[in-house]
Amino acid sequence: MASELNAVRKPKPLLEIIHLKKHYPITQGLLKRTVGYVKAVDDVSLTLNEAQTIGLVGESGSGKSTLAHTVMRGITPTAGTVIFHDQTRGAVDVAHADSSTLRQVRRNMQMVFQDPFSSLNPRMTVLDIIAEPLEVNGIAKGKAAQERVAELLQLVGLRPEYMRRYPHAFSGGQRQRIVVARALALNPRLVLMDEPTSALDVSIQAQTLNLLKELQSRLNLSYLFISHDLGVVEHVSDLVAVMYVGRVVEIAPTNQLYQKPQHPYTEALLSSIPKPDPTRKKQRIPITGEIPNPANPPSGCHFHPRCPYAQEVCKRETPLLREVKPGQFSACHFSEELSLKGVNDY
Amino acid sequence: MVFAMPLIRSQSSVVMTTEQKLLQIKDLRTHFFTENGVVRAVDGVSFDIPVGKTLGVLGESGCGKSVTGFAILQLINAPGRIVGGEILFERENNGRKEVVDLLKYGARSEDIRRIRGNEIAMIFQEPMTSLDPLFTIGDQLAEAVLVHQKISKRSAMDRAAELLDKVRLPQARDLLTKYPHQLSGGMRQRVMIAMALTGHPRLLIADEPTTALDVTTEAQILDLMRSLQEEFGMAILFITHDLGVIAEMAESVVVMYMGKIVEKTDIQTLFQAPKHPYTRALLESIPKVGHKQEGPLHTIEGMVPSPFDIPRGCSFHPRCSQFMAGVCDGAVPAETFLDEAHSVRCYLYSQQAEGAPHGK
Repeated sequence: MASELNAVRKPKPLLEIIHLKKHYPITQGLLKRTVGYVKAVDDVSLTLNEAQTIGLVGESGSGKSTLAHTVMRGITPTAGTVIFHDQTRGAVDVAHADSSTLRQVRRNMQMVFQDPFSSLNPRMTVLDIIAEPLEVNGIAKGKAAQERVAELLQLVGLRPEYMRRYPHAFSGGQRQRIVVARALALNPRLVLMDEPTSALDVSIQAQTLNLLKELQSRLNLSYLFISHDLGVVEHVSDLVAVMYVGRVVEIAPTNQLYQKPQHPYTEALLSSIPKPDPTRKKQRIPITGEIPNPANPPSGCHFHPRCPYAQEVCKRETPLLREVKPGQFSACHFSEELSLKGVNDY
Repeated sequence: MVFAMPLIRSQSSVVMTTEQKLLQIKDLRTHFFTENGVVRAVDGVSFDIPVGKTLGVLGESGCGKSVTGFAILQLINAPGRIVGGEILFERENNGRKEVVDLLKYGARSEDIRRIRGNEIAMIFQEPMTSLDPLFTIGDQLAEAVLVHQKISKRSAMDRAAELLDKVRLPQARDLLTKYPHQLSGGMRQRVMIAMALTGHPRLLIADEPTTALDVTTEAQILDLMRSLQEEFGMAILFITHDLGVIAEMAESVVVMYMGKIVEKTDIQTLFQAPKHPYTRALLESIPKVGHKQEGPLHTIEGMVPSPFDIPRGCSFHPRCSQFMAGVCDGAVPAETFLDEAHSVRCYLYSQQAEGAPHGK
């Protein structure tokens, strides 16, 4: 018993992303000659433990969604490995698995998208929608599937009587619950969430976030949680990774990252958040410029043209992601010298 | 604060007894007559916007905040109709000020057309849908300029370049030849703002102008709007669901729920001493960035009711944690003033029902 408890306490990695890359060739002319690459995901390494949430933040076009899709191998990676620790199979490299292994492993990893309106087929009943993964994977059908659907609906806080209804009969928040129920149908270990609450109203967002956290502790789920809302990410995440033009520029435990960021881009993001506190009005210094074109990113540190602390070396050398404080990794040449402002320092 | 005001705006009159009102909306009602019944999207809304100030309209989807914005410019399409109320707008006519009721003008009249884009302009959430993908930025901006001014095409282009400069877009000349798809979301929103500025509006209606943008771009656009407001002295009606954005932008706020204003106050009071249970619940339900909270978030029970089936009495009563049976589900609560600038529609603060005589 004691050893079992110890095993629970020690974080066990569930997903290891190692030097993952997804580069899209840019072709030109009749012969489709490759003239360059869009480095949508460029050498990303992350480890997600069991029952943990990693929040992934960054501006649009920074590669957050591509990373999630590449982890699922909805998109085939250009290079790198994605190790998933499967309960029955052990460590599986999702990036290189054959199709039958992939099929098996994918049961354990599911995705939830932003828009609950377009992710549900309007011509299928809720029962059909949630039962589909059960039937496709040969786990349950007919009456058994129906029972499982009822159970799942209850799990996400919907009445099982609603299972014969169509998606249009539900509100945005309820639809997102249906999407979550479908994602949980196969008892996954990992759920990749791509802006799961962005389309929802404030009052519904809180309900959904509470539900996701409750499900996590009940079912021991791990989340990779993508959002542009830094408040939401702070609330749900144990660790937060900040992406900029395909690269992770900082990763740290949530509080550390928000209070003592080590990368100037993180500081800029935190200072840009409109804070629901009118007494702190007009104190921030927003960064200038826009996210660069990933087909032609700036040399060296991609952030240097917008960085108020940039120096010559930043144009030449790409900083590596390194541990600058215990548990806190930053890809900046000057993390040690800079004293950056946290979210409450404005 | 009050004493500092004349210093900042030296040209404004020294005596600041009451704020000059640019727009006064009184009991505005906009209903949609659909096959399934009548939707009272805006149902008795009243508020004022002072000259040069920002009023925030806060609410969740379906509360009627956007319809309110459209109604001011009479941009309500069938089956919708403005069924009542007054929209009093202060116009400057050859240096003389006059107050007109915009609703007295027909939706297709010359008068309202002269006001639209000239005196009152509007920007929207998704700038891509507001720009024509087949025309260059220059063509579209120059067209907007030509609507308002009788000048040559060439000088209209010059004016367009100036406007792009104003919204801090670099290489304005070069941008004039670009198509909307060649611009980022933030740049497109800047173009929309430039277009809104063509007629030097005194009121800008901004309907969720930064909702589709990234947080860094949002910060830039909000800063831009503030500095343009100072430069042009325009008032802004800022429609949003985002409490952070409203805290940054607005001086006063109206909170809407199901077509009605439930609370009306200045921005400080909204965050420090909100009174309506809906406002309070809304404030508690957002994760407060920088103050990570363990445990679940505060939630508002249930969901926004169907617009065809608005609950009786106070429409928030089925979700309210302080619901009083027999009171809240009876008549609609009246607007009660707690002080001069703070009103709330809730039976916790007054027993007054709407339309009922005083002292009942």
